[in-house]
Amino acid sequence: MTLIKWQASFSLGIPSVDHEHRELIGAINTVYDSMINNADPAIIESCLEDIYADVSSHFALEERHMREAGYGEYEAHKEEHEELLDQIRNMMDLFEENPDSGRIILQQELSDWFSVHFSTFDARLHDKLGDHH
Amino acid sequence: MHRILLGALQKTGRVIFEYLRRVLDRGFGPELNPMNHLGALTIYFFWIVTVSGIWLFLFFKTSVSGAYQSVEYLTHQQWYLGGVMRSLHRYASDGAIITLALHMIREFSFDRYRGNRWFSWITGIPLLWMVIPLGITGYWLVWDQLGWYVALTSAELLDWLPIFSDSMARNFLSADVLSNRFFTLMAFVHLIGLPLFLVFGIWLHVLRINGPRINPPRALMAGSLAAMTLLSFVYPALSQGEVDMTQVPQSLGLDWYYLLVYPLVKAWSPAWVWGLLFGVSLWLFMAPWLPPQRSKSAAMVDLDNCNGCARCSDDCPFGAITMMERSDGLAYEKEAVVDPSLCLSCGLCVGSCPTATPFRRHTALLPGIDMPDLSAAALRETILKVSQGLSGNHRILVFGCEGQKQTAKLKSRLNDKATATVDIICVAQLPPAFLDFILNRDLADGVVLAGCGGGECLYRFGELWTSLRVERQRDPRLRKRVDTQKIALTWQDPWSGLSDVSSVVAALRKSLPETPAAGHVTDENISLPPVRGTSWKLPLTLTAYALFVIFVGWFSVWPRHQLLKQNQAMVSLSFSHAGHRVGDCRKLSQEELNKLPPNMRKIDDCPRERLPVRIIFRLNGKILYEVSRPPTGLWSDGESNIYQRMVIPAGKQKLFIGMIDSNREQGFDYSFEQELDFLPGQHIVVEFNNTLQSFVLIGGSS
Repeated sequence: MTLIKWQASFSLGIPSVDHEHRELIGAINTVYDSMINNADPAIIESCLEDIYADVSSHFALEERHMREAGYGEYEAHKEEHEELLDQIRNMMDLFEENPDSGRIILQQELSDWFSVHFSTFDARLHDKLGDHH
Repeated sequence: MHRILLGALQKTGRVIFEYLRRVLDRGFGPELNPMNHLGALTIYFFWIVTVSGIWLFLFFKTSVSGAYQSVEYLTHQQWYLGGVMRSLHRYASDGAIITLALHMIREFSFDRYRGNRWFSWITGIPLLWMVIPLGITGYWLVWDQLGWYVALTSAELLDWLPIFSDSMARNFLSADVLSNRFFTLMAFVHLIGLPLFLVFGIWLHVLRINGPRINPPRALMAGSLAAMTLLSFVYPALSQGEVDMTQVPQSLGLDWYYLLVYPLVKAWSPAWVWGLLFGVSLWLFMAPWLPPQRSKSAAMVDLDNCNGCARCSDDCPFGAITMMERSDGLAYEKEAVVDPSLCLSCGLCVGSCPTATPFRRHTALLPGIDMPDLSAAALRETILKVSQGLSGNHRILVFGCEGQKQTAKLKSRLNDKATATVDIICVAQLPPAFLDFILNRDLADGVVLAGCGGGECLYRFGELWTSLRVERQRDPRLRKRVDTQKIALTWQDPWSGLSDVSSVVAALRKSLPETPAAGHVTDENISLPPVRGTSWKLPLTLTAYALFVIFVGWFSVWPRHQLLKQNQAMVSLSFSHAGHRVGDCRKLSQEELNKLPPNMRKIDDCPRERLPVRIIFRLNGKILYEVSRPPTGLWSDGESNIYQRMVIPAGKQKLFIGMIDSNREQGFDYSFEQELDFLPGQHIVVEFNNTLQSFVLIGGSS
């Protein structure tokens, strides 16, 4: 089952950022699937950790583009990024402490995490920066 | 041997600079500490000199008689503006030499001139070569008695170089030879030539530095300008009397900042002075390789983990990382590229890399940029290993910079059951994610980052970047979920005592909760080193400024340089005279003439080379000077130059000068003898008039 599907409206028109968005969607779907399928906690942990590294660098790149484009809502968007990274770290620690209950909570949080950011912040960024496909 | 000497020199320098810096810290605080802005202060003084110089130029007359008078006008009639400008012009130039010298010695002492820093060192040396002549020509232009002395001595120095075939010094011995055009030339060199090169040189000097500090902090600019302005009013720069070439001043106030070697020209000889200058310059040029710095591996980019976010390039203090077009076909625009010849292997880039998170335990910890000598993965291993050895409720990990070898000291002082010290290249090498990792994965209960403080960071921005990242003001920010109460930053004098670290560790330990609670957000308080007492901040600052300007003012005229003793006078020999040809002319035979092209047929074949001109100068029968001067010119067919300045006792003296311009064995071709009554300080020039074929005295009053 797929948690999130790539949509053309996600595109910001910046190839690198779009590429990473696609990859992140893939990674989140993978970890979501493995949680549903009761995979080994170690695998899920490693997926989460990789997602954390990937999201960290993804945000760094996206922020770079925002700054270079002189994006007006940079500060708010940046704060959101920091918040999201804290949330991933919370999820990681949650899962680390108790994989069983963590699994259930995570399934919900993970989809919220990505979709909220996409539907609000990246959508606004899209209006500003994106080529409208 | 050389290594030991070098080490001792650097150590001495460090001790002195550490002391100076700590004392000044109490007054100025680390941000405004002038020791941390020596280079920028030098440039700032140069701007003061430029602005005041423009004012002086508006009133300056580039002629022999006008120069002195126009400077006198500025100094006395317009003392409130022109006089102050003149004083500022001098004092800022002197101040620049002080800051420039300190800047150089400091970078040398702290070993910031070798390895990949050679470029900044080497490009600094020509700046010195430009600044010193700039000051010298400035004193020349004033054309007071000091100006005369500077002109004569400079000319004597330059005459030693095989550049001019005529003696240049001769121009400054008697008033009727000196031309206004010479002042135009000097003014050109002083006003346009050297400053232009200097600006270009400064640009080159900071070219390789990322975000160089060209301007000192405003408070320092205002403070030093105010101090020097005050000095200008209290102790204005003055001329030292109008030039009278028949009178030598007994002593002169020399500006030792610029004219340090000038007395040596007479005391030793121009050749030795050039040797000294050349030797020092050569050593300065070779210093970065005597011996070279142990080479460290440059940062390396791992393209698979680099998405081109450019944080490393923003944070690199040395501009070693540039963002280039992507080369691996991945869907990214840019990639980081390290120039190994610029990289100082400080690891600040690793600290900035978002992929350098230690939470990658099942896949390899490969950041987008990493240090081969101490990789992020190796660092994580060390942290894990060291933390296993810790016990107790308040386990503390201390990170110290290895660059200064301070961690060895830290280890012996701090390490116990609950405290462990970890070496890193620079505290800013540690990505903030590692703090999250250590504190929230229960590897330790507190972390101390013990970096090199007070502007002594070997890598310029280590302290700044670390503080900002932990304060969440610079990327990568410390996660908000990390309790900053468990983190203490402390900035230590890297080369001396580290006693503060123990107290910081103890204080942190005391502040930690009894049972460590993991991972919740708390307020933003960050433990910073204790603030020092502020009650004597102002007096200390004022004293520092006062000492600086007193130092500036003092050595700009004191100690006075004695040219003549009470009862002495001066004689100069100064003329050119052509010796005879080495041989007689010979008549060519018809046969020989026929061989020559028609336009070159000449009956006489004369040798071009001339004989040397021999001189003996006696005072009361005693030989004071004896020389054989070779002819000048590429073909040895020019005149011989005779130039000698001699100090003699005042009073009645019998002068004798004899000259031989032929190859005679005995007697003289020309001679001159006269008894003269020298007044103290009187200056007489002995010339040979080639038209009259006889010696003449200039400046004699007998």
